Amino acid sequence: MVPVSQETGQGASSIHEVLERVCRVMHIAEGFLPPAHAIAWGVASAPFVVHGVRSLTREVREHPESTLLLGAAGAFTFVLSALKLPSVTGSCSHPTGTGLGAVLFRPPVMAVLGTITLLFQALLLAHGGLTTLGANVFSMAIAGPWAGYGVYRLLRRLDVPLMVTVFCGAFVADLATYCVTSVQLALAFPDPGSGFWGALGKFGSIFAVTQVPLAVSEGLLTVLVMRLLVRSSEGELTRLGVLVARTGERAAVAR
Amino acid sequence: MLPIDAAAHASAWRRRHPVDKAVLGLGLTVLAVGLPAWPGAALVLVTALVVLLGPARVPARRLWRAYRVPLGFSVTGALPLLVRVGGGDGFAGWAPGGPAHAGELLLRTSAASLGVLLFAFTTPLSDLLPRLVRAGVPAPVVDVALVTYRMSFLLLDSVRRVRAAQAARLGHTTRAAAWRSLGGLGATAFVRAFDRAARLQTGLAGRGYDGTLRVLVPQAAVSARFTAGSVALLGLLAALAFALRGPLT
Repeated sequence: MVPVSQETGQGASSIHEVLERVCRVMHIAEGFLPPAHAIAWGVASAPFVVHGVRSLTREVREHPESTLLLGAAGAFTFVLSALKLPSVTGSCSHPTGTGLGAVLFRPPVMAVLGTITLLFQALLLAHGGLTTLGANVFSMAIAGPWAGYGVYRLLRRLDVPLMVTVFCGAFVADLATYCVTSVQLALAFPDPGSGFWGALGKFGSIFAVTQVPLAVSEGLLTVLVMRLLVRSSEGELTRLGVLVARTGERAAVAR
Repeated sequence: MLPIDAAAHASAWRRRHPVDKAVLGLGLTVLAVGLPAWPGAALVLVTALVVLLGPARVPARRLWRAYRVPLGFSVTGALPLLVRVGGGDGFAGWAPGGPAHAGELLLRTSAASLGVLLFAFTTPLSDLLPRLVRAGVPAPVVDVALVTYRMSFLLLDSVRRVRAAQAARLGHTTRAAAWRSLGGLGATAFVRAFDRAARLQTGLAGRGYDGTLRVLVPQAAVSARFTAGSVALLGLLAALAFALRGPLT
């Protein structure tokens, strides 16, 4: 068996594996969107990223040591997206990391960290692109984290066990990313017969083959990681606000 | 180190200022997206390939390994353009002009990707990031990006070693073991990232850390000759694309 990883510089053994790698995280490739769409998605992402940049700048000015912690968070997000994930269908792919990132670092910070990660992926791994950065940021650093975090917060309020909320948050974040990317592609390339909705069905179904099982896989991985973190990094999770007000439940989950 | 970044550090254009390479590489990308796919993107594709393999001396094998990633997405994304859903003639069928539309999209994406790859394969991120402050990116964001960049390699190395250790302990033999190992890998990455950040903080505090990370950036000046040549090449490509559009379509 030949390991497939752009990160390690080793090659894929078959076309199937190449396609698996390509479909894995739904980065829209360089030049794929028409110029007007690329600019529009950049404009749509800008307020979220600017808001994130302002909160990050404020945080770093007040606590200079946060630079290192935020850098660590960014590196963790980048490395998480490089892990090989066994999909429930038996194939192999990589997680987006948006759900776990949003739960740990909150969506505004994830907008900035996600943008940095997507820029690194475009320039270091040739995943995504610079003209499509706005569209990819909107789906992966804004829509995914906000959707996942929204579900996570809602379920936490309803006193659902921590690990269930973490699974749902990661699953929804992954699925939201995939849905928004499908919408972006459908808007750019409407079907000649049925317009936007037909195109959404086409793009949605072609990527659903890999992305829906992946969303389940990512949810499972996030739960496994969180279970271990609750045991080993209680201090960090408390500082990040994941375990703040739920002391009683935390102890129950940890066992 | 990641293959593209390693190649960028060893590039023949390593000592050139990032602005020089951005004008050429990103200029080609903008042309690929902005010009008509035929013959504009085709001209850009050939030019980018000649520059990459010629003066920039990017190894062909490394280029192909990086290039096939966006190419694969483009093929998958172009497939739906071949078919239509709904409309007058039945539920589904071949889209009128679908192959031409898909071909144009593939051509545009392939050419645009090569433009960015030209920039990426010749410009290490460590040369680019510190200079982003001058481009108006807030210094704290650049500092966070710099820490992320440097820590990513250490963390990737760490993760590879942990993965090898897990494999040596038969951690990937069964599906359940593989999942358990993967969870451990993610948690270890988190713990090590924050542990390293804490140690870095202690070390920097001992050296009078005031909130700014000063790094040495290799000195390089923007070459007016190189930039003018790049602009001339881009202009020539645009003019050729419009001149050939009539005869070739």
